[in-house]
Amino acid sequence: MSEQLRSSAHKQIGGQRPAHIAIAGLHIAKRFGHVQALTDANVTVHFGEVVALFGDNGAGKSTFLKTLIGMIKPDAGEFIVNDRPVSFSNIRDAQQAGVECVHQDLALAPDLSVVDNMFLGNEKLRRGFLGKLGALDRKEMTERADQALRELSIKLPSLKIEVSALSGGQKQALAVARAVMWGHTAILMDEPTAALGARQSAIVCDLMRTVAERGLGVLVVSHDLPRVLKVADRVTILWRGSTALEAFASELTIPEVVATMVGSGRDNIA
Amino acid sequence: MTTTPRQQSSELVRQLDPDFRAVKPKNPLQRFFSKTGTWILVLDIALIILFGFMSEDFVFWSQTNVEALMINGTEALLLALGLAMLLGAGTFDLSVGSNLVLSSVLGGLTIKAITGVPDVHGNYAHLGIAIALGVLVCVGSGVIYGLCNGILVAYFEINSLIATLGTMGIGTGLALVITGGGDVTGIPEQLQSGFGVASLFFIPYPALVAILAAIVLWAVLRFTRYGVRTLAIGSERTSAERAGINVKRHLTSLAALAGGLAGFAGFVDIARYGSTSQAGHVQDPLVAITAVVIGGTLIEGGKVSVIGAVWGTALAVVLQTGLIIVGAQSFYQLIVVGVVLIIAVGLDSYRMRRSRD
Repeated sequence: MSEQLRSSAHKQIGGQRPAHIAIAGLHIAKRFGHVQALTDANVTVHFGEVVALFGDNGAGKSTFLKTLIGMIKPDAGEFIVNDRPVSFSNIRDAQQAGVECVHQDLALAPDLSVVDNMFLGNEKLRRGFLGKLGALDRKEMTERADQALRELSIKLPSLKIEVSALSGGQKQALAVARAVMWGHTAILMDEPTAALGARQSAIVCDLMRTVAERGLGVLVVSHDLPRVLKVADRVTILWRGSTALEAFASELTIPEVVATMVGSGRDNIA
Repeated sequence: MTTTPRQQSSELVRQLDPDFRAVKPKNPLQRFFSKTGTWILVLDIALIILFGFMSEDFVFWSQTNVEALMINGTEALLLALGLAMLLGAGTFDLSVGSNLVLSSVLGGLTIKAITGVPDVHGNYAHLGIAIALGVLVCVGSGVIYGLCNGILVAYFEINSLIATLGTMGIGTGLALVITGGGDVTGIPEQLQSGFGVASLFFIPYPALVAILAAIVLWAVLRFTRYGVRTLAIGSERTSAERAGINVKRHLTSLAALAGGLAGFAGFVDIARYGSTSQAGHVQDPLVAITAVVIGGTLIEGGKVSVIGAVWGTALAVVLQTGLIIVGAQSFYQLIVVGVVLIIAVGLDSYRMRRSRD
């Protein structure tokens, strides 16, 4: 089983060049007290592709995602980032390796401006004496934020506006843009369309494609099967803490995905 | 609903140009008057004009009274500034008053210990060194007091109201134990004449320090990484943590900053009166919180108005002095400040609800 997974992980995409791994978690296991949250979770995301991680509630999607960015330390398993084995002990390690996560709650500071949110934790200081005092270089921050948003064709009313004044879709787009700005390896997204309307969900799905086309690996955890299945290159389905299926999105139908998610035909075995 | 051709064309521009980022900018005057602090400033000015005309020989506007107003507001402002920073990050400090008292006791005792008793001409030995050390001890003990608060709140994760309620009692008790229940008196009067009640261009020295502190903190919040992170923590703590900010260390440093300001307020206290006044600062934290919140700082964190805290402090001082000068009971000040507090916060939340709809 494991050899199979490894070989599928290194599979060529669309018959092109051999793909390099942006981020992968292999044979991840994690136990919380009496709950075996993950037993053998596997996912591999290559540079330039969108991988959807599906699973029923309680399948371990969120836990799996958190292990990938160092928020949870697994009991067993290995991680690969940028083709190299890694071990993150916190979210900062992941960020330094170029792995950014768009959390379900977006992790924005609503009272701060768009620019300040884009640079939260990565503030750019001025040169010279004022910089030593901690003075921000808002001019450059604004320019870089503006550029980052333009590259993803994200339209916001203003960069100085408080984030609390943005719509749900705009906030989501901002969180994605921030992740793309700092991530240079992989972007992980946790339920990016859960709080959005149809039009805004479509925009966010477009964003995923745009990000992948820029060469990053995109892993998206979602319940929005129809929309995400359309945008994803490959699909990984978790069932009770283990990877039950890895397949190309084009080869799957929604009923098949749902059947795997709920583990039909597996209950007897388990 | 019908649309005019103009609206249609602007809609078209919006669709065609991906970089169309129109937002109706408020002009500076609109922005100015959308702030709570501005209205408090207007109220301050109205009261100053009113009290001036009501007072005999316009004595409210006299240089002596203006200086008295500023010196009265100094300690309150120093405490308010520290609280504004803490509220910005979403935490409290109820112990600033007892911090002030404990710092003033320690500072006063230090000064007295170094200078000893005066000679027959009323001159003290080593006065300069004594005062310098006195400032150092006041600010230093304030910072340590604040650090204790910060560590309890950030690292032991004790609710800041409870933690500082506890340290408030501890600090007040310690100060009383050290002095045996009395006040430290007989602090060299040169401290009063040279700093406590001395002025530069009609501005008392202590008030100058407080104004300088206000300007520095305003700049810190607006232009520095420290300020942005402070507001980020108050705005959404988990977001700040996920952005990799060391929230615990930051909160501790803020508490130390507020403590240092309270410690300096303690020095101002002994410099003004020539003695400590342990009984006089029980209400201080509440007065400071009131001043800060009246000025438009959000109690939930994430938004601080330093300038509003200045106007809020001024309101309490102007009212208190003004009522006395016009011959009314100064107790009315408490009532008016209470009413203004409720109206200011009520209007704020009304505006916020309306802007969300």
